[in-house]
Amino acid sequence: MSALKQLHFPQTPEEAARLLARGDDVRCIAGGASLVAMMNLDLVDPVELVSLAEVAELRGISATPDGGLRIGAMTRHRELEAEARLAGPLAVLREAAGKVANPPVRNMGTIGGVVALADPAADYPSALVAADAVVELASERGRRRVPAREFFLGLYTTALAPAEIVSAILLPPAAPGVGLYDKLARVAGDHAIVAVALSVTRRADAGIAVGRAIGGGAPTPVHDPKVDALLAQGRLSDAAAAQAGAALAAAADPTDDVRASAEYRRLAIPRMVARAVARARDELERAR
Amino acid sequence: MSARQTLVLRVNDTEHEVRAALHDTLLTVLRDQLQLTGAKRGCNHGVCGACTVLVDGRPVRACLTLAHTCRSAAITTIEGARGIADRLREAFEQAGAVQCGFCSSGMVLTASALLAARPAASVEEIRAGLSGNLCRCTGYRKIVDAVRAVAQGAER
Repeated sequence: MSALKQLHFPQTPEEAARLLARGDDVRCIAGGASLVAMMNLDLVDPVELVSLAEVAELRGISATPDGGLRIGAMTRHRELEAEARLAGPLAVLREAAGKVANPPVRNMGTIGGVVALADPAADYPSALVAADAVVELASERGRRRVPAREFFLGLYTTALAPAEIVSAILLPPAAPGVGLYDKLARVAGDHAIVAVALSVTRRADAGIAVGRAIGGGAPTPVHDPKVDALLAQGRLSDAAAAQAGAALAAAADPTDDVRASAEYRRLAIPRMVARAVARARDELERAR
Repeated sequence: MSARQTLVLRVNDTEHEVRAALHDTLLTVLRDQLQLTGAKRGCNHGVCGACTVLVDGRPVRACLTLAHTCRSAAITTIEGARGIADRLREAFEQAGAVQCGFCSSGMVLTASALLAARPAASVEEIRAGLSGNLCRCTGYRKIVDAVRAVAQGAER
């Protein structure tokens, strides 16, 4: 039997954070797609829930003064997969959104909920790392910003402090280039066996991250600035892709789970990286 | 145990006052209190799609929706779905797309929202649109055929 005694509907991020400070058994609920499933399975048993459904500031996508995008934490996957401003290198996030679960779940789930939970099976973490996104956090002490590359710390573990919520995702200004998210899964809507997120700007900066390569241990996006530099300097050549794939596979240290063996993942990563890099190169050439 | 609290739910264009525990899902309230049993409890964690209902016109998982978070929403269940859903019902019957029927209400509601957005949806769009609804009987082909028949009707 559930211990749930109160359900709050704050109107501002700061009010939500203040409610979260009431205790360890107080949890945030965004779209509910993950939290309610965990409640149904008796994996979590919160005493109070803080719904973010009525916090107007957390909704929608807007342009920032520096020309980037601000994505409110309560933005649904459905909205992101249809967002035309996620173009060029930022298309990595649009493609990732379109590959989360299935359409009804994409009507419910939010980017803030996925980012805050940091499920290693999620599609956004590697996409946000590749796109060099920044996570904005809100608490009673104010706002702070953490680069996605420093936000995901481990299995369901992030840089979020107690009584702090994800308020927005900030993306850099759109530049000429391409972004893509390639997901290897058993069937549509399943979690990835291996996913590659790639974001390339025309001035030949590359950001690449491999997600879901790891079944346990350190399940955060696998990313290395040296591999990005290698891809950029190699102008996305097959040789550079092979080197990048080998480096990321070595760094991933995959383990076995129900979806694939570690050995399978170790073999899949370089192939997935090669495929993603080749597609990015083709799209860049076509856009020229 | 959490106490029940009063909640007004707008279901199929009618307001219902119910007493629901805070952890009760929309699915529980629809089935156990409003006797709207068209939405089925399958996996109860969002995978199978049998519990799908429309919230503000969009298909969602009733099993992953807390009833008390629906206080300002318009909910449509299979019992109240009309229009495209009626054409889909007929097409499902014609195509033989119903066997045990457990998935059918979720299939029809998900397809009705898809066709509302894309009236002449292609087979590929239909397959992608229904990818979150599992059927263990038909092998899907007749379900896709039925939805496509309604989409072709819209093309004419």
